[in-house]
Amino acid sequence: MSPLAERLVADLRARPRHFAELVEAHAAVAWRDFLRAWGEVRGLEALGRDEQGRYVITAPAG
Amino acid sequence: MKQGFRDALRVLEDAGELRRIKKAVDPRHFSALAAQAKEATFFEAIEGYPSWRAASALVSTRKRLALAMGCGEADIARRFEDGIRRPVDARLVSDGPCQEVVWQGDAVDLTAIPLPLMHVKDGGPYISATMVVSKDPEYGRNVGSYRLMYRTPRDTGIDLVSSSDMRRYYQRALDAGRPLEIAVAVGVHPYEMLAASYKAPIDVDEYAIAGGLHGAPVDLVRCRTVDLEVPADAELVLEGELLPIGWTADEGPFGEFSHITGDVKWNPIFRVKCITHRRDPIFYMLQMPWENDWLAAPVIEAAGLQALRIASVEPVAIRAPVGGCCYWTLIASIRKRPGEGKNALLALLSVAEVKLAIVTDDDINIYDPDELDWAMTFRIQADHDVLIIPGARGKHIDPSVRAWSLGKGGLPTTAKLGIDATIPEGVPREQYERLRYFAKDAVRLEDYL
Repeated sequence: MSPLAERLVADLRARPRHFAELVEAHAAVAWRDFLRAWGEVRGLEALGRDEQGRYVITAPAG
Repeated sequence: MKQGFRDALRVLEDAGELRRIKKAVDPRHFSALAAQAKEATFFEAIEGYPSWRAASALVSTRKRLALAMGCGEADIARRFEDGIRRPVDARLVSDGPCQEVVWQGDAVDLTAIPLPLMHVKDGGPYISATMVVSKDPEYGRNVGSYRLMYRTPRDTGIDLVSSSDMRRYYQRALDAGRPLEIAVAVGVHPYEMLAASYKAPIDVDEYAIAGGLHGAPVDLVRCRTVDLEVPADAELVLEGELLPIGWTADEGPFGEFSHITGDVKWNPIFRVKCITHRRDPIFYMLQMPWENDWLAAPVIEAAGLQALRIASVEPVAIRAPVGGCCYWTLIASIRKRPGEGKNALLALLSVAEVKLAIVTDDDINIYDPDELDWAMTFRIQADHDVLIIPGARGKHIDPSVRAWSLGKGGLPTTAKLGIDATIPEGVPREQYERLRYFAKDAVRLEDYL
């Protein structure tokens, strides 16, 4: 997993977030790099949603 | 002759309705910038995507939709009716600019497309301006418009919750344990977008509807990896399949055409197998909610005209205002005979999910809100002229139907409201004679300036 994807997972372990909140937290990252990293996070199949539609990590830390 | 997406841009530019933005823009900012512009927007340079340009808000006002349709603002419903009455079959051609560049196999990468992040609560970047093609062995070809949410470089979500022909095709494929092939064309003329938005009967080819609107056949090319056809002049095409997983993957929220953020939905996944595009592609971002609203307007207004005629009421003008998202409200003026104000209301309230209908006489300009207010002030007695129909079919994304309290699979109902703002029976028309200025035609202000 790329360092950026690891940071996104860490962000979501800290608290639920909307996608745009993750984007804002990494605003300096090139958009295409961000999308690739998000694809990696998706690939973990550990994403869930809370009742407000925010992303959460559902799998325990590996 | 059939027009393309780039012709629509030219028409807008010639009318002073297109703003070119020369400075490079990050795709994360397309939507916010388009929302601030008074015109349609054309992004000539995109940060990180040197070979792409992007356009948005082509039909986000009634004026721009009418320009794209080549008619007056009051005539979009009749123009649409003319098109659907005279379908023109599509024509298969051997090649087209939409396949000038082909990415297949490991080269497929959605991150290479400038996907926009539109709203603060969206579940991800979205491809909103889609024309999605599918085929069923029994029912044939279908074309609709469905939003796609970026998931990975090869996968998107797709909103397939609402009832549609493609949902039926997918269910049939799912029952047979196979994927459903689809192709997604992005960057097509507004006529193709209108045809895709129109809920045509299952045996009617939406490409022929688009041809009817153009007055010329839509040229199609065969896709490279799926047994489907797409408009040859599209800017971008995604080919692939809806995985046979049912409604199991999270999709949304998304800023809906109701101007409100929707809920997370459970939907299928679209796996992209091939991407084709023009050599100098323009990504089209449908600016929510306005363009989605205005693409619905001719369809709903045409349905209202048809309902009035079936009720033997003579319509003069009809309008689906954007305040009702061009979907929930219809306002019509009619040439009224006794009782037809109420008949007209019943007809208009039978259209789709229309929940507010207002009917006036033909002397009222329904495009002028002040005139409409005047008619509603002086032609209505609320105990006679307001019609409430409880328990009609509602739509989930209307918060007032409290869909969240229904449980999974519950279908909402809504009350419908009709306002008869026609001159009441028994009141002479002369009672409504407007003020006229003395010597109005004899003097001219400019002669005194």
